[in-house]
Amino acid sequence: MISRLRMSASAGLAGVLMLGLAACGSSSTSVSGGSGIKVASGIQTPLTQARSGGKRGGTLTVLDHADFEHLDPGQAYFNLDYELTSATQRPLYSYKPNTFAAPSPDMASEPAQISADGKTITIHIRHGVRFSPPVNREVTSADVAYAIERGKNPNVNNPYFESYFSSLAGAGKATGGPFPGITTPDKYTIVLHLTEPRAQIVLDALVLPLSAPVPKEFASKFDAKKPTEYGNYLVATGPYMLKSDGAGKVLGVGYQQGKSATLVRNPNWNASTDSRPAYLDQINVQIGGDTTVIGRQVLEGSGMVQNDTPAQSIVKLAYEKFRTQLEISPGAGDHYIAVDNKQGPFSNVNVRKALWAALDREAMDKARGGELVTNVMTHFIYPEIPGFEAAGGLKGPQADYNAYPQGNPTLAAKYMKLAGYASGKYTGSKTLQVVGSTGSPSAEDAEIVNQTLKNLGFKTRFNLVDSSVMYSKYCGVPAEAIDVCPSVGWGADFGDPQAVLDVPFNGKNIIPSGNNNWGLVNDPEINKAMDAAESVLGTQARATAWAAIDRKLVAQAAAIPFDWDKQPNIEASNVAGVGDLWDTGEWDYSYTSLK
Amino acid sequence: MSVGAGEILPGAPGGLGFLDMGGEIAARSPLQLFWRRFRRDRVALASLAFIVFLVLVALAAPLIVALLGLPGPSVQNPNLTDQFGSPLGPSLAHPFGVDQLGQDVASRVIYGTRVSLEVGLLGTAVATLIGVVVGVLAGFYRGWVDMLLSRLIDVVLSIPILLLGLGIGAACAVRGCVGGTIQPGLGVIIFLIALANWTYVARIVRGLVLSLREREFVQAARALGASDARIMFGEILPNLVAPVIVYATLLIPLNILLEAALSYLGVGIRPPTASWGQMIAAATPIFNTAWWYMTFPGIALLLTVLAFNLLGDGLQDALNPRTAR
Amino acid sequence: MTRYIIRRILWGVLLLIAVTALTFVLFRILPTGDPARLRAGRVASPQVVAAIRHDLGLDKSLFAQFWIYMKEVFLHFNLGFSYYSSAPVRGLIANRLPATLSLVLGASIVWLAVGLPVGIVSALRRRTLSDRVSMGTALVFVSAPEYWLGLIALYLFAADIGKVKVFPGAGSYVGLTSSPWKWFSSLLLPWLVLAAGSAAIYARLMRGSLSETMEEDYIRTARAKGLSERRVVMRHGVRAAINPIVTILALDIATLLGSAVLVETVFDIPGIGRLNYDAITHSDFPIVQGTVLLGALFIVVANILVDIAYAYLDPRVRYS
Repeated sequence: MISRLRMSASAGLAGVLMLGLAACGSSSTSVSGGSGIKVASGIQTPLTQARSGGKRGGTLTVLDHADFEHLDPGQAYFNLDYELTSATQRPLYSYKPNTFAAPSPDMASEPAQISADGKTITIHIRHGVRFSPPVNREVTSADVAYAIERGKNPNVNNPYFESYFSSLAGAGKATGGPFPGITTPDKYTIVLHLTEPRAQIVLDALVLPLSAPVPKEFASKFDAKKPTEYGNYLVATGPYMLKSDGAGKVLGVGYQQGKSATLVRNPNWNASTDSRPAYLDQINVQIGGDTTVIGRQVLEGSGMVQNDTPAQSIVKLAYEKFRTQLEISPGAGDHYIAVDNKQGPFSNVNVRKALWAALDREAMDKARGGELVTNVMTHFIYPEIPGFEAAGGLKGPQADYNAYPQGNPTLAAKYMKLAGYASGKYTGSKTLQVVGSTGSPSAEDAEIVNQTLKNLGFKTRFNLVDSSVMYSKYCGVPAEAIDVCPSVGWGADFGDPQAVLDVPFNGKNIIPSGNNNWGLVNDPEINKAMDAAESVLGTQARATAWAAIDRKLVAQAAAIPFDWDKQPNIEASNVAGVGDLWDTGEWDYSYTSLK
Repeated sequence: MSVGAGEILPGAPGGLGFLDMGGEIAARSPLQLFWRRFRRDRVALASLAFIVFLVLVALAAPLIVALLGLPGPSVQNPNLTDQFGSPLGPSLAHPFGVDQLGQDVASRVIYGTRVSLEVGLLGTAVATLIGVVVGVLAGFYRGWVDMLLSRLIDVVLSIPILLLGLGIGAACAVRGCVGGTIQPGLGVIIFLIALANWTYVARIVRGLVLSLREREFVQAARALGASDARIMFGEILPNLVAPVIVYATLLIPLNILLEAALSYLGVGIRPPTASWGQMIAAATPIFNTAWWYMTFPGIALLLTVLAFNLLGDGLQDALNPRTAR
Repeated sequence: MTRYIIRRILWGVLLLIAVTALTFVLFRILPTGDPARLRAGRVASPQVVAAIRHDLGLDKSLFAQFWIYMKEVFLHFNLGFSYYSSAPVRGLIANRLPATLSLVLGASIVWLAVGLPVGIVSALRRRTLSDRVSMGTALVFVSAPEYWLGLIALYLFAADIGKVKVFPGAGSYVGLTSSPWKWFSSLLLPWLVLAAGSAAIYARLMRGSLSETMEEDYIRTARAKGLSERRVVMRHGVRAAINPIVTILALDIATLLGSAVLVETVFDIPGIGRLNYDAITHSDFPIVQGTVLLGALFIVVANILVDIAYAYLDPRVRYS
């Protein structure tokens, strides 16, 4: 779970018509893809784009405003990093570009076997996959084991290990070395032993780059450094590798911090072991530059894509003049307002409902770029995640406070009265601490929330800080007692409803710092339902179980949702781009080709 | 120029010819002389008139906005952005256009006058007060008091104030600093302005006092047995009024620019309060599509700072005719 | 003389120690957040945070931390490590310094080249139309915030988004060593914008200084000797009038090195100011502290240079 955050606050501008709003509400559990989200005609989505590709060979130039955060598969946890790891690394399982629900075997040779008690997972890996130079040898199950084990090494400090892999036997005390939860009976088999029946979530998490093999004899000396320097000597198993010198060093060779990265073909990659087509010969990533400038270069240029969020004005330009070069990816996460469920005015469910009713969610979404890149959020499981339809689809569950996307002050006043404020406005003495994130459009959204709170009669102290500071210093620290965090959002790590709902809303996940249950939601009934749903096996059953929890969250107004993101991505006219639905539509270098 | 502009006051420590002024002060009615010279300076008078106008605008902002038929500065209106969320440009109803939230830019520019003047006047007043006290003490007592205070001034002057200001502004962002005495927003800005500016005033005042304390009328007062406090406040201070006012006037535009710069960098005045610097910052991501949003607050800032600069110039000339224009 | 210089340098070092102490104390008193938690990232277990706290020496007493920091800074020139990227602050600063130096030094050449001639002409033609126009224009530029001028300049003249495509736009900076021509052309617009205000100030300074000089007795003597007016102005007038300006220049450049953040931000130039700005958005205070110290170093060094220059130029200056 844990949100992967888009560097630049997410989605840009735009959009006229989005036809899907009314169109959906049809059947119940649509489990994979096809959430009913539609985009304006002529615009491609990862679901509709051709994957047959253009010609073989050629060089793709990627213009990114932002730099990578981590190249190391044990540390990577950011959309841009994922495109690099997915071209260079082979985790046990991975998603094809057009799905966010059903992973395919990647380093694994076939689907995993789960024991009847849900506590043992057995995985066979492919034969004949070799590491890139200078390691060159064949990958074995020990390399996968080491990759996962090093996630617990404090020098690696994998960001999601605790969330998904803590049920591995002995993981709690591990510090990077082997532990009993991972065994390798032979060179091509790895077995995971769990202390609890959590097989489904562990298996789901094997699509994350942590499960990509790492050669211990090569990496351990780098892993001894504080922090690890393995990312500077990254070894590849995928079709591409970062350009490196004889010793395997990529830093300063294939990767210049803040400037560029160069991906070349991995000479040891064998197409017969992989389903990726890998058309391109080389990918040059240029880092930096103003987003309005690089966006225009991409749209007007040749052989180029941008892989971070284009500026709002660029999305508008693309929509108006370069519509075939625009891709809109649904299921790109959500944005909601976290309010303090534990103390203060918002511990009263009716005050939460009043804010929900009062909020002009359409205005909030318009500030994010309008219907082209947003849908009004009506509940918590988002499009493309199993359970979305069962939880209410686009329209959302029936509730009067959920029925007015433009806000309804009268209804809000009714709920304030129910909360005990006879005038229909807040009359208490508390001044609300509101901490939002800087940068457009989250700053604008935070201002709308602030104004809505004032209209409800609240006095506020309104602050905008950088999103990393907002999380690490304020909204993620319960002791700070921030009443309203208007700029939080969540992107699931994989297509499972637990990955959307558990961390931000399960009371057991509240921790004193680095907390991601920002609203301190701690409802015993919901907690219990979540604990039960965690052990449910099978996509369909899980969708149903978690959708029921979603409905409870809406009934409790545990947070105030306003936006489901659709991520815009742009390419040059001669690029046959293929975007990854699971990674907010970012262009996948192993599928994209030149026309 | 927001920060390196200290040099508009050539040779900061006492280089303005104030000392010569001291002689005149003692001899004739200096303020009268000063006023007569100032009155002849039409540019300075026009600037003064403009500043008076700005003060009126600031005081009567709600009235003016209502008279012009504009919405209030924090009235959000999603109907004033296009389907892509881009703000609409100038029109009859919204002469300066609107911002991303559909807030009226003209209305916000008018309200922004309040912040600029508040910061410019209040911040400068605090800095001047501290500067005068330190300067008088250092100049009057000389010796180790002077040494200590002058060294302190040296230390403060060595700090790159904008970089430090960014740090302090960020650290005090949410809950304020020092047990809440330095509140985020206006409080932080005034603190920084005081921190950055008292040193300049103190240096000038020290120089003036060093010279004044040797003059006959001070010597005479001392001979008559006047106390230190009486000499400092009764004899020396009145002679400092004119030069200090002139100097403070020259600091005001610098401080208005400093506020705007800090707000531009996101550690100053925060929305929904309208501040010109903060508006320019909010306009930056869309400056090439919504020219009106960055242009009008910038022009307001430019005109205000220019008026204070011209007034300061005029006052300086009137005080010190040797650098006649 | 030598003793004077040594004393000035010693005082400069003391000043730096004082500034270091001040910033250290300031950023420890102020609520800057827990460095260990910031460094650990958003999703770290309490054990990891504790381990980092120990590694950073944050479990030691404040005084011990201060002593270690001072020792590292002054004996090893080690400014600590970034909370955000874990990279050494010294290296980050060294990476960014060339861009800031290019920006500020280039701008200073521009403002001298524009400001001084304008000032000279104005001084010689005082109260004429051209004097009034140039001094009026100067005041306008002094009054305009440079980041706003920068935006306007980009809006009008940037090659990528401007109305008239003349200069390379924001984010086009490249290092001098990788391409001298691109370096030069990408900096043209920032130079002009950064220099605009200073050119105005220098024109006014030159005008004032030269006006005063031209009334000195020796100028009259020179004229009486029958020298050409041009010779009188250039040889005798300007030469004397420029002295105080050169000394101010050193201080200005030093100050600007620490305050080019606004122009760096607008034009997306990866300099010191930008480093500081980015660090602040991440609450990365070791970098903030490092850049503040560097800015202070520039100011202190410039002050020493100016004082020494004064002592050489003017034999009457001998501070006790």
